[in-house]
Amino acid sequence: MATVKLTNVKKIYGKNTVAVHDFNLEIADKEFIVFVGPSGCGKSTTLRMIAGLEEITEGTIEIGGKVVNDLQPKDRDIAMVFQNYALYPHLTVFENMAFALRLKRVPVTDEKGNTRYVKLTQDEIYKRVTEAADILGISEYLLRRPRELSGGQRQRVAIGRAMVRDSQVFLMDEPLSNLDAKLRNQMRAELILLREKIDSTFIYVTHDQTEAMTLGDRIVIMKDGFIQQVGTPTEVFEMPGNLFVAEFIGAPKMNTFNARLIKDDGGYTVEVCGVKMPVDGEKGEELAKRQIPSSAIVLGVRPEHITLTGRANPAALPCVIRVTEMMGSELHLHVTAPQGEQLIVRIPTVSLTSAQVAALTAGAKIFVTFRGKVMHFFSQDTGINLLTDAQAGQQVPQITQNQQEKDEMPVKNWHLKN
Amino acid sequence: MTEEREDFLDFDIVPEDEMAGDIDIEPAPYTPHVSAEATVSRREAAEFPEEAPEKRHMSQRTKNRIVNTVIHVVLAVMSFVWILPFVGIVLESFRCESTGLAGYIFPKVWGFDNYIRLFTETKFPKWFLNTFIMGLVTAVVQTVFVLAVSYALSRHRFKGRKFLMNLMLIFGMFPGFLTLILLYTWMNDWGLTDANAPWGLIVIYCASSGMGYYIAKGFFDTISHSLDEAARVDGATRFQIFYKIIMPLSKPIIVYTTLMAFMGPWGDFVMATFMANNSSAGYNAAAGLQWLLTDSMKNDYYTTFCAGGVVVAVPITVLFLLLQKYYVAGVTGGAVKG
Amino acid sequence: MKDKKQKIIELGGGEEVLRLAPVMTFTYSGKKYVACTPEGQTGDEADLLICYKDKGEYVQAKGELAEELFSAFRSRVKNSSSSASLEYLSLNRLGKIGYKTVKFFKGIPRWFAEKFKKLGRAIASFGVKIAENVKDIGTTFKNGSWKTRVSYLVMGFGNLSHGQWLRGILFLLFEIIFIVYMALWGGSWLSQLGSLGTVATEKADVWIPELEEFQEQVIHVDNSFKILLYSLITLFFIVAFIYTWRLNVKQCRICDEITASGKKVKSTKDDLKSVLDDQFHKTLLSLPVFGIVMFTILPIIFMILVAFTNYDSNHNGYSNLFHWVGLDNFNSILDFGSGLSVAFGEILAWTLIWAFFATFSNYFLGMFVAMMINKKGIKIKKFWRTVLVMTIAIPQFISLLYVSNLFEENGIINATLVKWGWINSPIPFWENGTLAKVMVILINIWVGIPYLMLITTGILMNIPEDLYESAKIDGANGFQQFLKITLPYMLFVTGPYLLTSFVSNINNFNVIYLLTQGGPQHPAWGSVGGFVAGDTTILITWLFGITTGVKADYKMASVIGILIFIVVSVLSLIVFSIMPSTKREDDFS
Repeated sequence: MATVKLTNVKKIYGKNTVAVHDFNLEIADKEFIVFVGPSGCGKSTTLRMIAGLEEITEGTIEIGGKVVNDLQPKDRDIAMVFQNYALYPHLTVFENMAFALRLKRVPVTDEKGNTRYVKLTQDEIYKRVTEAADILGISEYLLRRPRELSGGQRQRVAIGRAMVRDSQVFLMDEPLSNLDAKLRNQMRAELILLREKIDSTFIYVTHDQTEAMTLGDRIVIMKDGFIQQVGTPTEVFEMPGNLFVAEFIGAPKMNTFNARLIKDDGGYTVEVCGVKMPVDGEKGEELAKRQIPSSAIVLGVRPEHITLTGRANPAALPCVIRVTEMMGSELHLHVTAPQGEQLIVRIPTVSLTSAQVAALTAGAKIFVTFRGKVMHFFSQDTGINLLTDAQAGQQVPQITQNQQEKDEMPVKNWHLKN
Repeated sequence: MTEEREDFLDFDIVPEDEMAGDIDIEPAPYTPHVSAEATVSRREAAEFPEEAPEKRHMSQRTKNRIVNTVIHVVLAVMSFVWILPFVGIVLESFRCESTGLAGYIFPKVWGFDNYIRLFTETKFPKWFLNTFIMGLVTAVVQTVFVLAVSYALSRHRFKGRKFLMNLMLIFGMFPGFLTLILLYTWMNDWGLTDANAPWGLIVIYCASSGMGYYIAKGFFDTISHSLDEAARVDGATRFQIFYKIIMPLSKPIIVYTTLMAFMGPWGDFVMATFMANNSSAGYNAAAGLQWLLTDSMKNDYYTTFCAGGVVVAVPITVLFLLLQKYYVAGVTGGAVKG
Repeated sequence: MKDKKQKIIELGGGEEVLRLAPVMTFTYSGKKYVACTPEGQTGDEADLLICYKDKGEYVQAKGELAEELFSAFRSRVKNSSSSASLEYLSLNRLGKIGYKTVKFFKGIPRWFAEKFKKLGRAIASFGVKIAENVKDIGTTFKNGSWKTRVSYLVMGFGNLSHGQWLRGILFLLFEIIFIVYMALWGGSWLSQLGSLGTVATEKADVWIPELEEFQEQVIHVDNSFKILLYSLITLFFIVAFIYTWRLNVKQCRICDEITASGKKVKSTKDDLKSVLDDQFHKTLLSLPVFGIVMFTILPIIFMILVAFTNYDSNHNGYSNLFHWVGLDNFNSILDFGSGLSVAFGEILAWTLIWAFFATFSNYFLGMFVAMMINKKGIKIKKFWRTVLVMTIAIPQFISLLYVSNLFEENGIINATLVKWGWINSPIPFWENGTLAKVMVILINIWVGIPYLMLITTGILMNIPEDLYESAKIDGANGFQQFLKITLPYMLFVTGPYLLTSFVSNINNFNVIYLLTQGGPQHPAWGSVGGFVAGDTTILITWLFGITTGVKADYKMASVIGILIFIVVSVLSLIVFSIMPSTKREDDFS
């Protein structure tokens, strides 16, 4: 029901602890947006500023076109789900869900045109709470207290409490992180279904990239208070704006190598681990289009995009397996490449014979390769993706040093550690 | 068939060309580390005969039984030592043959003389009433003050909060008796001493009671702040958060604070004696009973004192035992928080 | 109720902070860091933040530093004995104790240096703040509207002109009350503060209505006590006025700014609403804090001032005025060799000895009793506990007075022992100094064990069972388990309690006063300066005796009160800063 717009939002704790730098984002009506990033990246702080639980140091936040900087949380027409649920322990589930409704005053205009603010009627409250409880499947627990519920049920109550308010914006602060892995998967699926039923804009904070990828219409990836990239799940996966995003999205994380990009007549090749690989397909064309010169780069390849190959392949990297993790449907091979680089390879077992699976143990020697279309090229100096285009709907921050203290420099000097 | 399938996207997924059959793998050499361990554990097991643990187990049990018996005896003796003075007071209070100190425990002549004297010859009923009123008023006002201060300091962040806490910490380190003279003069100016001392004492007990906020603050600190935040988002004002959310969750600490405030006046004899200033009508029970033991009165009133002690101690002890749970929670929480 | 203390780190000082719960502290390349999670969140590793102290304020580590710290933190978690250096680990037990002791004493000067630096910084920042305020007052006057300028004289004018009538009226009312008070009373009190009065009594002709004639009578003119007290109150009032005036100026500036930016200032209706919302803490605090200021802070400052006068029963400030005497009182008590300083030294020494024994004997015995009752296989646990707890409920003046009489010369104990023929003459429990001291400590154990039993029972039950199980597997016997697990855990959790109980034992008036009244009177220094003192007298009972005794020497009582404060505060500061249990947060979390 409303757009949310953040303009140059900044949060500074005390004198010099900057939690959020210059945050700019427009969230469309009914969009499901996910803030994701490692701990301390400012995602929760941003959410809490939108909620009104933290003051905004600089910049403006608009909800539905109205600047809300100076408004109390209750006047912002938002609902929020907290990480630890924050259910009122002394109230029943019903009363928990009805709490906000009982405090609410709705405007009523009488015949003379005077507006008065009145409480909701008992019937109205009852109707709204039971409806929400029905949707969430917690009708039978309405008279219980939170401590008599399981984790998943509490989670539902927390969502229900936010749901009954029919708010413009629905804020969720790591709502699933207190659940065990199995329940989390289940609730994630339910959230996707729930979204169809709740008619509002969602802002969802998580540190789990899987949640971000599966739930979000768009994902905002943050680090150290800076937005690293904003984009749809496909965009951030296929065209990560910089090395941080590349490594953060996807599990296991992307393999990176110090490599050399070589431009010659026939197109581009990369020299990695002493082996030359042609950059064919889309990526080669893109490089050519941008006329990227030969240079030292960081090459990124996702584990699932590396394949096993035979020794005859000219683009084969000979590797030694250190550890094999059998995941059932696939094998995760931790291998050492010729110049000591460590990388991870994901092989679907369906493509292998059982004899081959059995042979892929620690110490075995294998050949791996990857195609040009799965390669990602990053600048060694800035970590920025060489193929990103500012016009393509992505925001890649050009980080300037002046607004930062020395030790707070984010994406910089991506000299690889191994 | 074909029409139904028209909506579906038409993918022809070609398997990657280097997949499957074309892979070269050099298997790792075989390392037989499992069998070596197995032989070692075999040998170790052989060195210990099977019966040994059984025997040790038995002796352990006997030892345990002896220790437990000893502990039971120690606890019984301790209970006796701890209870003895109270039994003694009760026995003394029924002694009729003499009124002073006696060199024996069991009375020779039993009777209620001392209780009768307590209620007729001394002003004990007045003292008791004084104390009771003081207890009630203090319990209410002090609880409100303590909860207000501890809640504000625990759950609100405002300018001067640290300063206020430091101020109370520093002034709390001065001995309280220092203020006796000034408070007496003050109360005297307002006519709240001597026979009116109970009212002066109520003012003194209550006015500074906010200083004792530590335990209650420790309790509030343990209540998650996200409850406040959730309530704020739900539209509650700070005051509504206070009385709709936090207060219902704070029953233990409210009961503890009230209990302590109520019991305070029953034990205080220093302030009470000082404020009443020789006007025995203004004494509380403690001051009055202690007065009975001053050198000039002791010989006539020692057993009466014991009777008074019983009358004061019994109701308080019953109340205390009923609310023991809350007291333990408060005192433990306070100790851990420091 | 949770048992473990949740210390909260507040990131970014000031009014608005990020509240963090520490998980573990660790050292990395010589600096201390704290790993923490946002308060109320789970200990999921992804929530971890790493902070460090910079200029007394916690700062969050960021960027590469943070990454290094995270890996350091992870390795610390794996082998958490990190804080001890390798050198320390190689020492034997005696060596370890020595190492710790040396470290402790080496730490003291640095600690004092830190404290002084902190104090210096605080004073400096206070000065800077005042300068800033003065500057702000100037610029506000220069840039302010005419309404604001008028407010410099007529407080609340700015608020009134902006429609905030409630604030305006309150400001104005306060100013009027202040001016009237100062003109009528405050000024004259203050003018006499230097001399504390000049004329005590004078003869004057007083009109006696009954006789319808003048009669010469002695009337009291000045009253030092009242002069001192009301001067102090006037000073408090002046400080409050300056603060309010500054507030008034600030509000005018804010009103100007808001109006200039085209927004609306807060209306009186908003103000009234905020009493229960934004400003609710003020509503909560106003009355209790007023009570504390008037009934604790003001009296204590008054008595501190009294320590610099000659106020006693001879100079009661009424028929005989008292005056400022500078540091004379302190000189007489601290002047080594004089009678009073000997008495003070003796009493101080016994006070500390008493506090030490009273605290630790109770602590260990109470813990021991709790462990006995907690032990598996002990029956009717509830009964044992209730018997002990019952003794807490009974007011001390009853139980202690009875016990005191029990041990009298002709009390039950002596009489019984004589009757049984165990002794020939009564044991002088209260008449022999050394015996009295021992008795006081023993009876205090009787008083204290139930409290400690209660406190420690809960904590003992909270010690994770698996710690004991792993110790048993490692082959530790019962005593070793106590030494290696129970005791460190208890000390860690109840460390702060030990300190507070030490301090409260320094001021443990009840036990000493009810048992011995400080006696037996000491022959050498027991009556120095007319103050009764004895072998079991501690500072607080001495103070009480001096205040309420025949001589009523208020000035010395004040001096002793200040000295008690100094002892207590120095002890608290040192112990809180150096005590290992307040530092090692990581060991048991």
